[in-house]
Amino acid sequence: MKSATKNKIKKPLGEQIFDAANIVFMVLIILIMAYPMLYVLSISLSSANEVNKGGFFLLPREFTIDAYTIVFKEPGIPRSYLNTVLYTVGGTFFTLLFTSMIAYALSVQDFVFKKFLTVYLTITMFIGGGMIPSYLLMKELHLLDTYWVIVIPGCVGAYNVILFRTFFKGNAMELREAAMIDGASEFRIYLQIVVPLSTAIFATMGLFAAVGHWNGYFSHLIYLKSSEKFPYQLILRRLLNSVADLTNAKELDNEMAQEALRNQKYNAKNLQMAAIFIGMAPILCVYPFVQKYFVKGMFVGSLKG
Amino acid sequence: MGARGRVHRKHFLKRVWDQRALVLMALPAFIIVLIFSYIPMYGISIAFQKFKPLKGMFNMNVQWVGLKYFEKFFQSPYIFRLLRNNLLLGVYSLLWGFPLPIIFAVLLDQLHARRFKKVVQTISYLPHFLSVVVLVGMIKMLFASNGIVNDVIQWMGGEPIYFLIAPRWYRTLFIGSGIWQGLGWSSIIYLAALTNVDPQLMEAAVVDGANRFQRVWNVSLPALMPTISIQLIFSISGIMSASTEKTLLLYNEATYEVGDVIGTYVYREGILGGAFEYTTAIGLLMSIVSLVLITLANYGSRLFSENSLW
Repeated sequence: MKSATKNKIKKPLGEQIFDAANIVFMVLIILIMAYPMLYVLSISLSSANEVNKGGFFLLPREFTIDAYTIVFKEPGIPRSYLNTVLYTVGGTFFTLLFTSMIAYALSVQDFVFKKFLTVYLTITMFIGGGMIPSYLLMKELHLLDTYWVIVIPGCVGAYNVILFRTFFKGNAMELREAAMIDGASEFRIYLQIVVPLSTAIFATMGLFAAVGHWNGYFSHLIYLKSSEKFPYQLILRRLLNSVADLTNAKELDNEMAQEALRNQKYNAKNLQMAAIFIGMAPILCVYPFVQKYFVKGMFVGSLKG
Repeated sequence: MGARGRVHRKHFLKRVWDQRALVLMALPAFIIVLIFSYIPMYGISIAFQKFKPLKGMFNMNVQWVGLKYFEKFFQSPYIFRLLRNNLLLGVYSLLWGFPLPIIFAVLLDQLHARRFKKVVQTISYLPHFLSVVVLVGMIKMLFASNGIVNDVIQWMGGEPIYFLIAPRWYRTLFIGSGIWQGLGWSSIIYLAALTNVDPQLMEAAVVDGANRFQRVWNVSLPALMPTISIQLIFSISGIMSASTEKTLLLYNEATYEVGDVIGTYVYREGILGGAFEYTTAIGLLMSIVSLVLITLANYGSRLFSENSLW
């Protein structure tokens, strides 16, 4: 009905111009957001010859997957990819487990430590020890250069606990009373009622945790020493830096570095782009299907944060 | 009082025992937070002592040195450069990065074509999920001397610019890429506030003959004000906390002068250089600064609007 009246009354010229300009603006935004990623993909799939010619790339020129084969053959890369998967799976699992369990306890109205734990967690949102004391602690606990130093220390965030608790309170806790009367234990209620009724929040928080672990590099850089434990992002950083040095040298007209570039069988750019794309590919693949969970997660946060 | 206290404690212990399952469920998280959040807070004390790495953090035989390391920082030749870099990156990010998502959300809200709107949203949220390593890698590719940006500049008849080693382009790259990555994602929260605007209010405005611009100005923007205030508090409290992770990837010898920030300095001097007491002192100073900033921002917001975090 609304649209019918809209069609009858012609919009003033000013508004029509505004609508048109708005659409043009949005198309521009799409181009600015998407083109860099498309560029990375096309370069990585183009032949070294074509990449050397430079210019715009919308689609790959002289399509080849050589760059990907080389990157995957690079020693250490398959290993680091596997490491990233392990960190991501482990980190996400422990985040969800420990966060949701304490959130469940806190969403029970008369839990003895409710007040204490709420304050206890809230304090950590405003005060922290910082980079160096944390590092010294890990050293003291002999956690440096272990798998656990990545997976465990950051897995309980106060903010995440609040989000879980809010969700539990709004969804599953009414059923708790009934289940208690039927004689169910807290663990059973948690496992068989709360978790199944809260898949949405588990999915959302799990995705955020997984992306965080997948993308992380800084704590790995600080806490890990041996390169066979490095995640892909750290290897990618090294790869990008080593070749960036060469391109920098090129800018400085260093003949030796130029020689090194010429002697490389493949254009450094292809390899770097392929490596970058490998780093973001899983997220690009999953993103369209899980986007709604991410956005939902933002709303859970904005409503009761 | 003693008798009552005892009764109360008995009662308390009984409650704990009755709720032992819940206590057990909260325990792992409690311990993890205790170890990895609270012990490092205790560890801040090394900023005031002569730290012996071999004896460790829990050494009770401490040689206190007072504010020595704080003085060292205040006398450091780098302090001015570091604070300036942190502050300028923060201020420019706020100036550019704060209003743009609001404008973007309002414009998105004005789109009628639902499909198209969805497409814009999906694509503009995506960069948020790229890792900082990938992001900086892309910057280095696109803005390299032989990258596409310089191709375009040359194609238009300009001279190539060495963006990555030019100090005067550093902040632009840093903040511009931040906006590229965060524009869509930051707009979500405003978009949500806009979809919650009472439709009757909008209709009333239409009946009153308000045009599009008047409707945005008088209905949409006021509806956004609470969200804007809260977001502004967060943004202001983060004004001194330029990203260490991103800086570490983006800066190089040529751009230290504008790029080096407190976090990277702490990383180099502390983790790489072993000056633990000194860098812990710096870390403590920065925590205090950001606590003060969030309190001030919250206070300010409460003065000028009814919105505040606490």
